Amino acid sequence: MQIEIRDLRKVYPGGVVGLQGLNLTIPSGLYGLLGPNGSGKTTLMRILATLLEPSSGEATVGGFDVHRDKAAVRGILGYMPQEFGFYPNLTAYETLDYFTLLCRITDKQDRRRRIDEALSQVNLTQLAGRRVGTFSGGMKQRLGLAQALLNDPKVLIVDEPTSGLDPEERIRLRNLWAELAGDRIIILSTHIVADLAASAEQLAILHKGKLLFAGRPSELLSPLRGRTWIIDIDEEELSPIRKEYFVTGVFRSATGMQVRAICEQMAHPRGYLAEPTMDDAYVHVMKQEAGNAANDLY
Amino acid sequence: MTSTEFQARAAGAGRAEAAAGLRLIRREYQLAYREPAFRALAIVGALFAILRASTEGATGALASYHVWKLAVSGLAVLAILIGGAAATRDKRDSATEIVLAKSMGSSGYLIVARFLGIWLSFLTVIAIMLAAAAIKQVAGGTPWHLGAYANAFARCLAPLALSTALGFSLTSLLANPLAGAVAALYWIAIPLARAHIPQAADMTVTQHWPAAALIAAGIVALAAALHGRPVRGAGQPRIRLGWAAAALLVAGLSAAVGSAFSGEDTLSHRDEVLSAISAQRLEGSDRAPGFWADDGQHRTIALSDFDGRPIVLAFWGPANPESARVIAVLAEVARKYKNEGVACIAVCLDSDSGTVGPFAREAGPDVTLVWDRGQHYGDGEPWSDSPLGLAYEVKSVPTLFLLDRQRQLATRVDSLAILALDRELTKLVAAP
Repeated sequence: MQIEIRDLRKVYPGGVVGLQGLNLTIPSGLYGLLGPNGSGKTTLMRILATLLEPSSGEATVGGFDVHRDKAAVRGILGYMPQEFGFYPNLTAYETLDYFTLLCRITDKQDRRRRIDEALSQVNLTQLAGRRVGTFSGGMKQRLGLAQALLNDPKVLIVDEPTSGLDPEERIRLRNLWAELAGDRIIILSTHIVADLAASAEQLAILHKGKLLFAGRPSELLSPLRGRTWIIDIDEEELSPIRKEYFVTGVFRSATGMQVRAICEQMAHPRGYLAEPTMDDAYVHVMKQEAGNAANDLY
Repeated sequence: MTSTEFQARAAGAGRAEAAAGLRLIRREYQLAYREPAFRALAIVGALFAILRASTEGATGALASYHVWKLAVSGLAVLAILIGGAAATRDKRDSATEIVLAKSMGSSGYLIVARFLGIWLSFLTVIAIMLAAAAIKQVAGGTPWHLGAYANAFARCLAPLALSTALGFSLTSLLANPLAGAVAALYWIAIPLARAHIPQAADMTVTQHWPAAALIAAGIVALAAALHGRPVRGAGQPRIRLGWAAAALLVAGLSAAVGSAFSGEDTLSHRDEVLSAISAQRLEGSDRAPGFWADDGQHRTIALSDFDGRPIVLAFWGPANPESARVIAVLAEVARKYKNEGVACIAVCLDSDSGTVGPFAREAGPDVTLVWDRGQHYGDGEPWSDSPLGLAYEVKSVPTLFLLDRQRQLATRVDSLAILALDRELTKLVAAP
């Protein structure tokens, strides 16, 4: 089971470019999609979920073309959009029952089993009988995930699933990804790097519809190994250090300030080598791209 | 696997699928009926029905007539608007993408299930209204007939299906609530501008139910055929369903056009027999105008059937509830003068073929009820363009005509005072 994306291009009416010629192979397991807002993550996910027609190029999900075999793709797909709502007058159980019917699951016992399982996976069993109109943002978010799990999808596409969740729920979800991944594909888009750090087997970084990186997290980190530093600084040093070094983060500790920086040689007396993190790598990739873009300009 | 086993398994799968289909319709029904608007509608409708059932002399037939009238006019307009709103429900509740990504998200069956859900919601409101009227009458001790309520309910099915289909399907077809609003305007325009529109365009009347039902099915099938059609050429629209939709629409429109060119309507077609009936005159002729008319129970009644008997001929119309009391008065007269052979005939002036039936069943065999097929009311008064109303120069309801054994006009009475009738009838009966 894999997703093949070949030269995928999407230009919206009015000339806004969503994707510019994307090539990507997504294998089984948890696959992270990183990128700032407007980078094309949602465009890619909606094309894979058969909700948007690409302008050119092709994409196949488990061998089915998203353009020609929509029905087959939808049969193996679970999709949780970035922004969604539910019918306020149905209970959580009724809502999920409605969606199992739309998944063409006709057997009554089978439907009940899947609904109960999905409810318990997202920890909503207690609220099954409550009308969805009374749900908080986090509860709705969890129900959104439950509806995507109903058909036991081979491919689960979730767009910004952790937005609006409190820290505890966010951690729960991170554990759930690991549990669900197995032999299915989970594509998880986020702009929060920490969501992926723990469990993503592979990830892609998108920027303005272009692919900046695709591969394992270790491949993203390894070039930074031996080049990532922590510097203890005084507050007034911050501005000159920003000019001198490639800074990926600024932190305040009990004793003063720390910056994380990427460079070959460290001249600062209080700088010492550190293990690179996903945050460092992400900021590094994004800043490099910004630098290239600036160079292109001049 | 033997073929019997295979058949049994296939039948099992078919049953499960049918059960799932019903379940989907039930969920769609809940989605529609749990909208707060429906609660309000049911309450207001029930109050209206109770009010109608409480008026002086209101029988089951009269109360259910008024519920029917409100349902096919006012409620039907709301069905267009609410049906239109339901077509954009996914968008309103931001559920579009979740629904579309499901296997059945762009299936035509979903459109049919949604249509049925909304239609059933409106039928529920009508059932509640009729039940409220029935309970009020039973509690008040008025004699009532279950048949009248069931009849009114049945006569709501086609008009409500059409109005729901117009609002819901047009809005989902054109992805624009304006489509539903235009349909609602048409629905309102029919009663307001009926002096200029042939009555065949009025899909609320019972005689047009086949046309209304066919057009409703056609519109729903069309919406189902085109639902979820790909934006840019990929995939195939459902061709066979499209043809079925076209066939249903053609059949429905033919039925409507057919009724326009076979009925009695100054704007489309004049029926020869009815024209001849309305050309008769009461004044200056030897015999009172004769007629053939439908009794609402598929029998044709002729005035000549009562030759040689004194006749009380009464005109009434359900639009004037007071005049409906004439039926009870006639029933009393018929009982009293049974041995003298007095015939009692009540002529119902109404545009709807289904009106007279329940009143006839309520009145019993002693009174003969007939429907005067006036199909077009130029100035809004039911007698102005109805053949018998014109022939007898009826200017208000109720009006009673007493005819002697030679079918000559003896007296014209426009009150329901039984004493006055008694006096005149005694004279009539005594005459040869």
